[in-house]
Amino acid sequence: MNKGTGGGAIAAGYSLLFFAFLFGPLIIMVITAFNSSSFPRITPWECFTTEWFDELFGNERLMAGLVNSVIIGVGVVAISVPVGLAGALALSEVGPKVRAALYTVLITPILIPGVVLGISTIVFWGGLGRSVGADYGSIFFDGMFLTLAGQVTFIAAYAMLVFLARLQRFDPTLTEAALDLGATPGQAFRKILLPFLSPAIGSAAFLTLLASFENYNTTVFTILSGNTFTTTLASKVRHGTDPSLSALAVIIIAVTLIGAMVHEAHTRRAEVMRTGQAARSKVYGNPVLSVLAHPVMVLVLLVAMGGGLAYKASQHDARACKQQILDDKRALQEKLLEEQRERIRAQKAATPAPAAPSSGPAPSSFGGAFNPGSLAPGSAPAPAAPATPKTPSGFGGAFAPGSLKPN
Amino acid sequence: MTALRSLFQPMAAKHGLGAACFIGVAVFIWVVFLIVLPQISMLDYSFRLNLPKPDIGGPLDVYTLDNYAYFFSGNDGQLNTLDIGILVKTLVAAVFVTLIDILICYPIAYILAHSATGVAARLMVIGLIVPFWVNEILRAFAFRVLFGATGLINSIGMGAGFWDQPIDFIRADVALYSGLTYAYILLMVFPIFNAVEALDRNQIEAARDMGASWWRVHWRVVLPIAKPGIASGATMVFMLTAGALAAPQILGGPSNLWFTQLIYQWFNESANWQRGSAYAVILLLVCIGFVMMLMRVFKVSIGEIGR
Repeated sequence: MNKGTGGGAIAAGYSLLFFAFLFGPLIIMVITAFNSSSFPRITPWECFTTEWFDELFGNERLMAGLVNSVIIGVGVVAISVPVGLAGALALSEVGPKVRAALYTVLITPILIPGVVLGISTIVFWGGLGRSVGADYGSIFFDGMFLTLAGQVTFIAAYAMLVFLARLQRFDPTLTEAALDLGATPGQAFRKILLPFLSPAIGSAAFLTLLASFENYNTTVFTILSGNTFTTTLASKVRHGTDPSLSALAVIIIAVTLIGAMVHEAHTRRAEVMRTGQAARSKVYGNPVLSVLAHPVMVLVLLVAMGGGLAYKASQHDARACKQQILDDKRALQEKLLEEQRERIRAQKAATPAPAAPSSGPAPSSFGGAFNPGSLAPGSAPAPAAPATPKTPSGFGGAFAPGSLKPN
Repeated sequence: MTALRSLFQPMAAKHGLGAACFIGVAVFIWVVFLIVLPQISMLDYSFRLNLPKPDIGGPLDVYTLDNYAYFFSGNDGQLNTLDIGILVKTLVAAVFVTLIDILICYPIAYILAHSATGVAARLMVIGLIVPFWVNEILRAFAFRVLFGATGLINSIGMGAGFWDQPIDFIRADVALYSGLTYAYILLMVFPIFNAVEALDRNQIEAARDMGASWWRVHWRVVLPIAKPGIASGATMVFMLTAGALAAPQILGGPSNLWFTQLIYQWFNESANWQRGSAYAVILLLVCIGFVMMLMRVFKVSIGEIGR
């Protein structure tokens, strides 16, 4: 922390709080995936179990949606990365006035609510389909195609922003030098500009895949009667929740963390290699550690670790513990019942014997039909009878035997 | 046409004919078929009646203001307080969420740009990004787990004796606002971070040396630099919050609708696409108008938006 510009305890404390807010909900969700309680919660903790993962993989609709999502995601990446690149290149070539106008047009899809984009997409393609006389089986009414169109509209703009950021650092004299040395414009484009942009192509592809995969607002309209992974997930969450969703979150978070660590290993390594300090660095100078810190090795290690943990957890048998919980619950129920009986008995003992008959002449149009005593005339105490005054009946307990009791 | 050619030729000269054709065609398709025409056809659609299929294109298929009139006055000519109220509530809530995001994110962006160094800064960036790789639906679900009647907050609160009945955070919209605030934090942090990072640290130190208090340094030195970033982040957060659908569906109380949910109902439950389109147009216009107004007030241009 840099004290001179306002570091110190307050900044550190605030950062901690901030990241607690960021990670707290996710951590709690992860923990609930391993609780056997059928509602996702931490307290009361019941049993450690991995059965929610089985349930997740057994969910056929979700898995079918996953296939759709992957197809759409690949399509969106394949279209929106080149389109975004074209947009970025066009923006960097045109004059300032056209540039401002074009930028505004191309950036608006990011700002337009996703709901609006989805609606406009289905309305437009549906109208186009009707005007060429296509029937409902055609591409104009196909959820996958419409989703592709709707998502590319704004996801291409994300890709464009990535390329624009990279292009800002491009030195145009490189292209000019290539042209001076006799390269054709096409060659200069392929040999100079595209290689310069290739890291951005990678990150744009990743960003667009992620954006496509998790998009809901547009997709829920454009997919029509179909399902993607995210829309299935949303309908599942809306219609009752169970911890198999937490299990899904565990998988996603694990993949994310592995990805982040591998990426970090990669950037660090690239940085050290670039500055040429590999020989002097503690990690990269050592042959063993250098192999261990290689991104591929990091990936292998992490995946192996995750796989090992998953295997170990899947061997865990929660049946005994669940039986225990069930027994505990039953015992608790028994105990409560017993206590209630005890209370009844105590109440019965405190109540004068003629209590039930005294309530007989109740001045009511129901003729005492509601009087429990009339059903169990003076015999063994009916369990329901003493409970009656407690029930919030519309009669305000007027029919309860105790209320007329002359004491 | 000549204007287009004058745009096209330098590009062909610089990148080659193939690349120029590709750029031209891709941008043309994107702008015309994906952005402009769909919006126009939605606007057109919103002025039409919801007719059965055989009547489409027939004499009954005329332009009408019915769908918009319905938004303002309902079926009975009375003021449609329900729908207008939902729109107003959505906007107010979106503004509220945006303000909270600014308050939360400004300090963290400043710390990230000027106080954190080395490993801490790297970890913070990773920590900011990783939660946003998790699906939006699952993030909302996490808040449902947290705020549910048997959720963690209720069990802690009841266990510690702060309250003895489970509080219905979902009905009170606490869960919804927290979820929305959470959902778009990243979009607020990075624009502010980009803006604040440009600030020369010596300026802060100079202000300190001159005896300015901390809040004065922020008010007079840091905030003016951060303003475009705040505006850009606020625009995105506001638009996304107002247009959010998943979080209100998952976290919203049963009686509290978000305006996008109304649109969703017109489409999927009432099968009245025309009226749904009209409502979508209303949402779009109101949101854009609101953002434009604020941009004018704070003197920021749309060109500064983007990551």
